[in-house]
Amino acid sequence: MQPFAQIKAFSLLLGDEVYHTFQYLRRRRGVLPGEIFHQLFAMGTRSAPIVCLITFLIGITISLTSAAQLRQFGADIYLADLIGLAMIKELVPLMVGIMLAGKIGASITAEIGTMKVMDELDALTTMGIVPVKFLMTPRLIAITLAVPLLVALADSVGIAGGVVVAKIALGTPPPVFLREVLSVVTLSDFLTGLGKTLVFGWAVVIAAGFKAFTIEAGAEGVGKATTEAVVLSISLIIGLDCVFAFALY
Amino acid sequence: MEIIRVRGLDVGYGDTVILHGLDFAVLKGRITVIVGESGSGKSTLLKTMIGLLPPLRGEISLAGERIDFGSERDLHKLYRRIGVLYQTGALLNSLTLFENIALPIRMHHRDWPAEKTAGRVRDMLGRVGLHEHEDKVPFELSGGMRKRAALARAMVLDPDLIFCDEPSAGLDPLTSAGLDELLSELRTAHGVTFVVVTHELRSIARIADQVLVLRDGAIRFIGRIEDVPASPDPYVQAFFLRKAEP
Repeated sequence: MQPFAQIKAFSLLLGDEVYHTFQYLRRRRGVLPGEIFHQLFAMGTRSAPIVCLITFLIGITISLTSAAQLRQFGADIYLADLIGLAMIKELVPLMVGIMLAGKIGASITAEIGTMKVMDELDALTTMGIVPVKFLMTPRLIAITLAVPLLVALADSVGIAGGVVVAKIALGTPPPVFLREVLSVVTLSDFLTGLGKTLVFGWAVVIAAGFKAFTIEAGAEGVGKATTEAVVLSISLIIGLDCVFAFALY
Repeated sequence: MEIIRVRGLDVGYGDTVILHGLDFAVLKGRITVIVGESGSGKSTLLKTMIGLLPPLRGEISLAGERIDFGSERDLHKLYRRIGVLYQTGALLNSLTLFENIALPIRMHHRDWPAEKTAGRVRDMLGRVGLHEHEDKVPFELSGGMRKRAALARAMVLDPDLIFCDEPSAGLDPLTSAGLDELLSELRTAHGVTFVVVTHELRSIARIADQVLVLRDGAIRFIGRIEDVPASPDPYVQAFFLRKAEP
């Protein structure tokens, strides 16, 4: 597909998904009962372990790198400020977004792409079911519900990484570290991070759906589209993060 | 009695016209088989009749009502009156056999009590001989069983007619014959109308009431299977006698 045709197809699908999601929220039709919970459970169990592991490791890495510098100036306690703000406003949204692209985005493209290749989307259409609504609406609603849980988890685990390093490398007691984090991080910071992650989550689901619905070739196309979905999702996340940076700072 | 009437149908992709000026009727309670070699346009014709590909010109009427392919309402009406058996079966792999067959009911008849839905699904599974497999997922079934399950799903809302795309494709001769028997039995016992696209000559001989032969997007023969030998068209003769292309 030519770039202009791709942008057009992406915009049409985005419009369709938004329309069908709002229509579903109003009329509660066109989606298999229980599917939203099923997707929410699948997204949560698939992403939570890796999100925890990655954010914990990033918390440790950033803390270790920063602790060495801060100690030179006797500013050990500011490690809590740095980790709290960096994690909640920037690193957690970015890392959760990227993890979602790898875990959720890839699986959505592979699943729906295979359905397209196996004529299942045509079968849904000829059963009078709108495939975009049937397949994408539960995923969009599920990601909207899953992201706040994942963000809360990732924020906690990321800061826990900082607590561990502060205790071992700087001798800062955990209660002191956490008090300092709470004194510097506001509810607005948390909501900013949550809002960014939500937008990244939507971008991942929409990009994955776009790549799945526009597969043209057979089984080979599914693999190609899955890779492209991850690349597109990560590119969108970085691009949107840049936009947020301009808008918020 | 006609259930489908096609008049002056031209179908294509972009500037390429694949089907030219088709005129024919599908009769109620009969099995109409569309045959032709690869590239003759039979799958394109099927896609158009099931509303997945809008025609360039011409019209299709279902039970006397003309279908407007640009109108979502008309297409939705069409989808409520037809069932489709796809070449791959196209069952949803994430659902069990029972859930697959119940899907059209759960989407279109949300007011049906669970017992009524279950009764209907089990009745369909019984008709296609799969009542013992309702908890299995599609990949646990053989190719023939998947097709029979897909047929049960196509029939679950009692459509006016069922379209079958290459039902014998990928099946061994015995399973293929079993599926043909099932189609004939459903036609005879339940008065189901079928439009079947295939190029399997044995299958055509077993099930066809009416045959439509396509070549290069045009109709070369339409009539009863018994009338094929009397056709003056050498292509039709060659096709059915499995001779090289004249």
